[in-house]
Amino acid sequence: MIKIEHLYKSYDKKPVLKDVALSVKRGSIMGLLGPNGAGKTTLISILTGVIRKDSGSITVNGMDLDHEIGAIQSRCSYVPQTLAFYPRLTARENLEYFGALRDLKGKKLKESMEFCIDIGSMQDFLNKRVDKFSGGMKRRLNMAIGLLNDPEILYLDEPTLGVDAQSRNYILKTIKKINCERKMTIIYTSHYMDEIEQVSDEIAIIDEGKIILHGATQDILTRADALCGHRNLEELFLKLTNIRLRDEN
Amino acid sequence: MIKLLYILKKEFLLILRDVHAVTILFVMPAVFILIMTLAMKDLFDLHSTVVIDILTVNHDAGKRSAALLKAMEEHNTFRFHLIDKDTVTESVKEQMLSRDYKFTLIIKKNFSAFVNKKGKGKDENPLELLVNPTVPVQTQLVLKSALDGELSKLRWDAFIGRIEKLLAFAGIDKKDLKADKLSPIDVQYVYKGGQSFKMPSAVQQSVPAWLVFSMFFIVVPISNTFISERDQGTFMRLKSMNVSSSYLILGKMIPYLLINAVQVIIMIAIGVYVVPLCGGTALTIGDSLAGLILIASAVSFSAISVALLIASIARTAEQATTIGAVMNIIFGALGGLMVPKFVMPEFMQNLANLSPMSWGLEGFLDIFLRNGGVSDVLPKSLSLIALGLVMLGMTLILLRRHREV
Repeated sequence: MIKIEHLYKSYDKKPVLKDVALSVKRGSIMGLLGPNGAGKTTLISILTGVIRKDSGSITVNGMDLDHEIGAIQSRCSYVPQTLAFYPRLTARENLEYFGALRDLKGKKLKESMEFCIDIGSMQDFLNKRVDKFSGGMKRRLNMAIGLLNDPEILYLDEPTLGVDAQSRNYILKTIKKINCERKMTIIYTSHYMDEIEQVSDEIAIIDEGKIILHGATQDILTRADALCGHRNLEELFLKLTNIRLRDEN
Repeated sequence: MIKLLYILKKEFLLILRDVHAVTILFVMPAVFILIMTLAMKDLFDLHSTVVIDILTVNHDAGKRSAALLKAMEEHNTFRFHLIDKDTVTESVKEQMLSRDYKFTLIIKKNFSAFVNKKGKGKDENPLELLVNPTVPVQTQLVLKSALDGELSKLRWDAFIGRIEKLLAFAGIDKKDLKADKLSPIDVQYVYKGGQSFKMPSAVQQSVPAWLVFSMFFIVVPISNTFISERDQGTFMRLKSMNVSSSYLILGKMIPYLLINAVQVIIMIAIGVYVVPLCGGTALTIGDSLAGLILIASAVSFSAISVALLIASIARTAEQATTIGAVMNIIFGALGGLMVPKFVMPEFMQNLANLSPMSWGLEGFLDIFLRNGGVSDVLPKSLSLIALGLVMLGMTLILLRRHREV
């Protein structure tokens, strides 16, 4: 379970996260929604230990992030929204490299790679340079790299950005599958509301550095029905976060 | 150790699959070494094959002018092309420029009279030298000095001829007083440790210069991979995997140190084995392997540190490669890589000492040319390492401030 209390973070005295409190149940998929600049990536960056928080407390599966960051990082994995791998390497070389940095070697590395290759459906293009891949293949590889260490918690930052309907469908099914089979906790950000509705057990909406709504997906859709007249997450989101444009400076 | 091996493998694969990086790191310096060595071959070669062609008009009817030309041609450096003595001066100048002669020597009517100190015009200047303005002053001085020297010998021999009877009366053999045909000056090159005689050939100058230049060009692949890793979120991913900033920097440092080492080996091999096949002299690398490793490692460390700093300051890979390339060319030119330091005026030589490339070049020259050892390259190596540490420190501060790793 992930528990966040009184979390604050500022960049150059500009507050980005303000008193964030959130808890994510073990083994659930939580959709994290928010307009551009709401604080989603900052929150995930803090949870993954990429950046430091200013104050507040975070515990991950009973471990304090401040004191057991190494242990937490070895049990978590982060899949950024950017294609964070090496285009001039093949899929196999990328998997080997990131696997080795996860301290995997020998049989364990081979097994992990086989699992990830299977998950990413990459058997046919494993030895092809990644810069020759289609957008969907790249997204699948990006996610597969995140699964190398068989994490307890997987952070997915917009994993379907810029892919076709088939790849998107495949990625969403895969997320559900690994969550079911491996009891993996998944925190998932996306701008596609239908995706969030489809895969999430619970939803949190963040805006201007604050969690403005958090609950089970079904409860939130019921609330949408009550507020907007029908079970539409996007309408609820716009109602809660306001329709004004959020152009980042 | 496994991690490190995969990091090395990754960096090597990235470079070997980057055609531009391979060209800049290996092909460019190899081609430079071959071109510059062969182009400068005669500048350093004692048995020079360079011949200065001189258009010549001989108005002198005496024997002395022919003796001058014969003596000059024995230098094997000058070749005189005689044209009709009735050619007017304007036509001579026209021929000189149209036929691309650098010099025209006009031997005046009074030449033999001047040498013999007898007859009409014996006190007037007997030679006139027309010079193409593109000719370097040093080349003009070489020709002028040779003419002065040969003229003096002719005049001395003529003087001895004039006092021949007096010498015979005094019992002196005139042969003993004749001017020496050969130069009385012995040229010797000085090397550390009194080692065997080695010629400062073009290859000894070119290999270290272009080697240092290419080692500093490591900025191109480093900034390309570093900035793409930063922009594509790979650094962020690695940070989330508990890979520390220092480890990431080390992960860049070690592969590129090895790549620089491969450059050193390849460029030396080109100097030793390929240059002789193209007609140049083979590179000799001195006797101090430890000294060579020390200076090569120091140059590499500072080049990589400078590259990392540029990569961490630049916003785009294009910006980094432009800054890096311009800096390299300026520091290379300043540091005596493109024009040897010894041909620079004193103030430029002093200025050259500001360039880290000059420290590296001098270190390699210590080993290759002056037969130096570890103690000779130690001060230059320490300066390069100190520079590298400062650059590396600045890189780490910048990266942490920007939360990039």
